Amino acid sequence: MTQFSSLFSLGGPAGAPLRLRFEQSSARLDLFGLPDVTRDPETAPEGGQRLGILTRWELAIGQQATLEGRLDHLQGLLEVVLTYVRRLISSSPRPCGSEGQRVEIEPHEGGHRLTVHSSQPDTPPLRLTLDSAELADLTQCLDQMLHDPRIGLPLAPPAARPLPRRDLPRTTPLPQRLLAPTAAAASLLLTAALASLVPLPRPATPGAPPATQGAPSTPAAPPR
Amino acid sequence: MPRRGLERLDLLLLAIEALDLHGSEAMVWCCDQLGLSEQFPDRVSLWRSRCRNPLRVASRRGQLGTDEAQALITLVCTLAQRVYPLLRQLVSSREPAELTAQRWTLFRERFSDLVRERFNVRRGAVRQLLDDSEGEGLRRAIVESLLLSAGPGGAARLEASLRDAQR
Repeated sequence: MTQFSSLFSLGGPAGAPLRLRFEQSSARLDLFGLPDVTRDPETAPEGGQRLGILTRWELAIGQQATLEGRLDHLQGLLEVVLTYVRRLISSSPRPCGSEGQRVEIEPHEGGHRLTVHSSQPDTPPLRLTLDSAELADLTQCLDQMLHDPRIGLPLAPPAARPLPRRDLPRTTPLPQRLLAPTAAAASLLLTAALASLVPLPRPATPGAPPATQGAPSTPAAPPR
Repeated sequence: MPRRGLERLDLLLLAIEALDLHGSEAMVWCCDQLGLSEQFPDRVSLWRSRCRNPLRVASRRGQLGTDEAQALITLVCTLAQRVYPLLRQLVSSREPAELTAQRWTLFRERFSDLVRERFNVRRGAVRQLLDDSEGEGLRRAIVESLLLSAGPGGAARLEASLRDAQR
């Protein structure tokens, strides 16, 4: 059932339309465009030309609707999906992409919901529900595209960085997390309470004779 | 690499062994194929690196070297690509539910056997892994991490996730 990555390109002579396909099981990404003829042919990748101008792309996932778009949609898809996948590897999935962006993805009923906003006005967004297998297939397709030497498009994938502590799910139970600060606060209160019990030295009153330490207040009777 | 990263890296390799009965042989073969013979010339050196995991019974103190850590990440990603069809079947909602449940049962049994054999079962984290209810989510997270670590960009993602801040 699972197919391993397969790529093929349909390209003619220099200047003819070029098509690149990236496939992984349930996902298939097709890029249509024109080759970059300004580059030195000697530096062209082995087995074909380099895609320099993207006219459109198509993405088919499973039996669901096919997505289409231009370069800015593809850049949005890359950023949002790869950022989401990066978080998912750390078991910290969160919605990625804001209302202003063309593509959004979020956890949805044990799966993942991908929303693509159309650039045409009054067109409702397209929503696809993916399971983890389909998301992995889509990720593989995007990875294959990014690592293909035949791609000469200005695509910038998000950098994979370690997540800060605030972005990670809490695995320590609440009582265990509260134990240390509670113990610290209790010891502080106890120390303050004990310190308040220690008598303070009385301030000397003006006019009173200074008390000499060790001297009796009444004269001692003479010895007989 | 943080302590959690070491633990996860070893657990990912253990999950591969649970999925593939010839997993340990495949690891040695992959090391040869990937040119990792300098870091892991034989299976003993690979085992020693994996023993940096503090959850192991025979845990070794000290940090994993940068080259060794990188080699282990490359190994995990290559093996994840090798078992990708099996991983995919486990998390796919298009597969028959009964078949998926049987696959998960088989995976849980093999994984738990390996954990009992090699890990210190007195540790809380290990007990959590072996627990039927608590361990289910953890095992699924391991399988999903493996699935998303496969492919050309998987190594960078996995490395970043292993260097996450301590929770």
